[in-house]
Amino acid sequence: MDARKASKKRKAVTRDVEEEAGVFSGDELSGQDLDGALSDNANDLSDSEDDESEIELIDDVSSDEGEEEEEELDSDEIPSDVGEEEVKKPAVKEWQADEPNVRIVKDANGNDRYLYDEINPDDNSDYSDVEENGNTIGDIPLSFYDQYPHIGYDINGKKIMRPAKGEALDALLDSIEIPKGWTGLTDPATGKPLELSQEELELLKKVQMNEIPGEGYDQYEPLVEYFTSQQEIMPLSAAPEPKRRFVPSKHEQKRVMKLVKAIREGRILPYKAPEDREEKDENEINFDLWADEQERPDHIMHVPAPKLPPPGYEESYHPPPEYIPDNKERKAWEQADPEDREKEFLPNDFQSLRKVPGYENFVKEKFERCLDLYLAPRVRRSKLNIDPESLLPKLPSPEELKPFPTTCATVFRGHKGRVRSLNVDPTGIWLATGGDDGTVRVWEILTGRQLWSAKLSDEDAVNVVRWRPGKDAVILAAACGDDIFLSVPPIADPEIEKASLETLDAGWGYAASNPTPSASDETKKSAPPTWIRPSSALADLGVCAVIPLRYIPKSISWHRRGDYFVSVCSGASTPASVAIAIHTVSKHLTQFPFRRRLKGGGPPQTAHFHPSKPILFVANQRSVRGYDLSRQLLVKILQPGARWISSFDIHPTSSSASGGDNIIIGSYDRRLLWHDLDLSQRPYKTLRYHRKAIRAVKFHPGGRYPLFADASDDGSLQIFHGSVTGDMLSNASIVPLKVLKGHKITGELGVLDIDWHPREAWCVSAGADGTCRLWM
Amino acid sequence: MSEGQDSAVSEAAQRQVRVQLTSKQEDIALPESTGPILVPTGLRRYALSTLVNNLLSSEKPIPFEFLINGTFLRTSIDEYLTANGISSETTLEIEYVRALIPPLHIASFQHDDWVSATDVLSATAPAATWASGATFSKGQERILSGSYDGFLRVWNMSSETIATSPAATEGGHTASIKAAKFVSPNQIASASLDRTVRLWKYTEEDGGFSGKIAPQLELYGHKSGIESLAVHAPSNRLLTGSSDHNVGFWSTKKADAPAAPENLLPSSAARSSKKRKLNSSVSVPQRGPLALLSAHTGPVSAAIFDARDSTVGYSASWDHSLRTWDLVTASLVDTRTTAHSLLSLEHLPDHNLLAAGTSARHITMIDPRASATTVAAMTLRGHTNAVVSLARDPHSSYGLISGSHDGTVRLWDLRSTKTDKEGVVGESVYSIPRKSLEDEGKAESKRVGGEGVKVFSVCWDETVGIVSAGEDKRIQINRGEGVLSSTKE
Repeated sequence: MDARKASKKRKAVTRDVEEEAGVFSGDELSGQDLDGALSDNANDLSDSEDDESEIELIDDVSSDEGEEEEEELDSDEIPSDVGEEEVKKPAVKEWQADEPNVRIVKDANGNDRYLYDEINPDDNSDYSDVEENGNTIGDIPLSFYDQYPHIGYDINGKKIMRPAKGEALDALLDSIEIPKGWTGLTDPATGKPLELSQEELELLKKVQMNEIPGEGYDQYEPLVEYFTSQQEIMPLSAAPEPKRRFVPSKHEQKRVMKLVKAIREGRILPYKAPEDREEKDENEINFDLWADEQERPDHIMHVPAPKLPPPGYEESYHPPPEYIPDNKERKAWEQADPEDREKEFLPNDFQSLRKVPGYENFVKEKFERCLDLYLAPRVRRSKLNIDPESLLPKLPSPEELKPFPTTCATVFRGHKGRVRSLNVDPTGIWLATGGDDGTVRVWEILTGRQLWSAKLSDEDAVNVVRWRPGKDAVILAAACGDDIFLSVPPIADPEIEKASLETLDAGWGYAASNPTPSASDETKKSAPPTWIRPSSALADLGVCAVIPLRYIPKSISWHRRGDYFVSVCSGASTPASVAIAIHTVSKHLTQFPFRRRLKGGGPPQTAHFHPSKPILFVANQRSVRGYDLSRQLLVKILQPGARWISSFDIHPTSSSASGGDNIIIGSYDRRLLWHDLDLSQRPYKTLRYHRKAIRAVKFHPGGRYPLFADASDDGSLQIFHGSVTGDMLSNASIVPLKVLKGHKITGELGVLDIDWHPREAWCVSAGADGTCRLWM
Repeated sequence: MSEGQDSAVSEAAQRQVRVQLTSKQEDIALPESTGPILVPTGLRRYALSTLVNNLLSSEKPIPFEFLINGTFLRTSIDEYLTANGISSETTLEIEYVRALIPPLHIASFQHDDWVSATDVLSATAPAATWASGATFSKGQERILSGSYDGFLRVWNMSSETIATSPAATEGGHTASIKAAKFVSPNQIASASLDRTVRLWKYTEEDGGFSGKIAPQLELYGHKSGIESLAVHAPSNRLLTGSSDHNVGFWSTKKADAPAAPENLLPSSAARSSKKRKLNSSVSVPQRGPLALLSAHTGPVSAAIFDARDSTVGYSASWDHSLRTWDLVTASLVDTRTTAHSLLSLEHLPDHNLLAAGTSARHITMIDPRASATTVAAMTLRGHTNAVVSLARDPHSSYGLISGSHDGTVRLWDLRSTKTDKEGVVGESVYSIPRKSLEDEGKAESKRVGGEGVKVFSVCWDETVGIVSAGEDKRIQINRGEGVLSSTKE
């Protein structure tokens, strides 16, 4: 009964008539696939539609079986109408009240037939508890109605039709051919009968059964193994349960008793909410440190704390995913120097606030803060972000600085043993060389043809050969052993040759007019030597005068006028007073200007006259000194920092007028030093390109090409561009141009001397391998 | 298959170009005026040469070179067309000339010392052509050599010395000879480091198997060694370049020449004590220069006459300049300054160019005319040392040979050029190494600075071939056989 009522309630008013069918309960209806699906499709019309379809079925049956089916049909039509509009219910009542509840209908035979409306009893009717559809035939066996289609009459006198038997229904259904998916509806879109496939029907059924998965339902959820599939073979312990597990604990009982006793005695009080805190606070005295703080003006001693920006998303404990660094960013951050990091923390995602760990840098920051308070400075690394390329000086390309010597053009072969010295004559046609074999040779510079050779000594090597500057005479000074030979090679035309001879011979008379020093002077070592005439064999070769020096001169340098030359005996055993000698050609006079050894740095090495000023530069092992000859003063001291100076040369344009003096110094400790005398006594540039000692350095004479070169024991020459501007402000620019290799290293010695062609950018070098080379 | 053939045929048709083959030489011109021929563009020089030989139906194939627009074809025609952006539709004008055949070594004449100068006397040599009266018979070619030992030698073609100049004591040079030239078949001029120019009378006896070089005239005037000598026989003039920065202009006629300057005569030397016998037993007339042209500031390395006008002289100097002289008035006309020392000079009259060998290992072509805008018209690169000698090609106005201190003689064709970033640059056609290197079995080895193999002088005669003299104490004769024999007749 309960279920029935519930169904009635749900179907509301429309259901009142319908239930006469009896057999079809509402529950059953909804259980049927076909109808349920239909009703849902037809939206709100569901119930009435249900009824209709149901009735049609029955209608079909009844039409087969006899006349009374029309009654049924009619009687059904009314409720169906009512069912279509729920509001009609009271209207029906009114209609019942106004009109007679009898209708006259023609029956099958044409006779009138009275059809009475159903009596709708009120709620307070006596029959309310009587079953509406009850059979009224009373206590007679049903077998009496066996031959009738009905089984009795209801309270309204209507026949109660015999319910269809199973076979009959089946037979009926079988007789009706329903196509698969038939719904009996028309598709509003196409106008054709709507047919549903099995899947759709299945779906509809599920919808009806509320079996549709909602959003987020994963059909293929991984199987959760609630109970592990792996079974332990052995239990953790096979010991039997101890007895104490089953016996109540005495100890616990004691503790409980204690607690109970304490509670009884009032020693344990029940928890009280801490509501009385505020009262206590009133008693406490709190000091507001900043209470009387006043705003102070900006001052260096009062710098207000900087205002920090509000925290962003990335500082959140649970930042949005786009703020969380990926692995690459994390790695980059970890690898970066702490100073280079853009921010000092990495955004980290914690699912909840309780998972946020303690601040890791807490101790460190406190420590640093302490350091700050102690005013303990921490070293801050200052990083220099400089491109190393930019530190290199901007040098012009060697291509732009052409011409300079690049290849070996001529090899001068003839000397036996080392060629110790060489010099190109002022006209640039001849080359003079002197070597270990004691010969002086003159060559045609371009072809390498030997034009003249003189053997000055059988034992001693020729250490230096130097042409007299100037084109008015051809005089070659050569130092061989203890002597300096002045010769006129027979290469010049008669006129010049004559002039040369006259230049050299003029001094004989002068020397003769000044009588030689007394014998006592002669015994003294410092006595100036007298010039002598060479042996006839040498005289035939062209030697005109010999200066016996008693010590081995290693360096000769002419004054630019060609009347003086300075020779230096650099041997350690040479007395300091006779080491440096100045020879006057026109007077055949030799003088020793220095009585004492130069300070600081061993015996003198080499000396040169200044190209324009009356200054003599003398180099000892560690310094170069400039002496004003007219005033007899020391005017310059250069300290190149080299351990042993081998040679030096003065820039040809050096003078006070054109930007000052520049001197290059070569040293045995592999350094080539450029001194600008205006800048400092220390070198302006140090060039350390050779692997072995530098033997000779030379500027291009005449200043036509801004070139200089050095010769080294490593068998190579290096050519440099060194331009000196007339401007006092700009410094010399030095560009290494070319390494010239070709000389073979013989006995640890490579290139011993070097010289430039006076006009061309050609240079010649003397090698320990017995050759000289012309480079152009 | 047929499709493939079609495409191949069409491709071949596409790759053909119409060429018009021409030649300026009569003997190798195509028989009848052959119209344009369709040739595949893939052809190179050799294939084209074969084609022309077929057209000429010559029994002995002649190698040809092909000129398109004045430059030699060095690639295939196809590559040439693409490189120059020429459509293959046009008709290509191709001129063919005889290829230069690699000059073969003919002979070497051994000397006692370095050979500094050489000249040739043959029917085609200027000395013979100037001597209008004398007819020069073939097979009587003479080669003159001047050596560093101070002797002039005259050789016949079978490497026999016919005559040697007298020694210093008998009127010969007292120092190395630097230049020597035939003035006429019986006169020789030589210049030496002893600052003199000497003229010699050369006579032959015994049917040309012995001869005599007798001193004729000594010319004094230079104050330093004389580096070069140029001869113009019709006007009896000599031009010398000396290390004393002067250009000497001399007459070969005793009567024309002024007296020698007294101070330069060897007798004036103050070195009386010397044992050298400068005053020789033979007394030779001594004369001075017609003019000493001084403007150079460095040693004059070369002085030449204009090939067409003997009143114009050119001189090249170590002071980087090339100067043009009017010899009639002995005045300086023009100065062209280059970037390098000039060591040799040759005039190419057909192109109005002067070829100057430099110390910077190349040859600069200089237009001496006043209208020329650029100093260097072209640069010939290839030598590895100073270029000290130049000579014209007697066969072609485009040819040039150069002797260098690197020990090679190089043949140049002015048409064989390419344009570089530095302008037009020529490449040598052939390089002739010294035979002495091959004899030593070191043909491939490179001498540093041309040591021992430097070439000092070159001369190219139509009959004899290329004669070069050098540090290896030899005169070397090379000849391109095919070229010479075919062009002679």
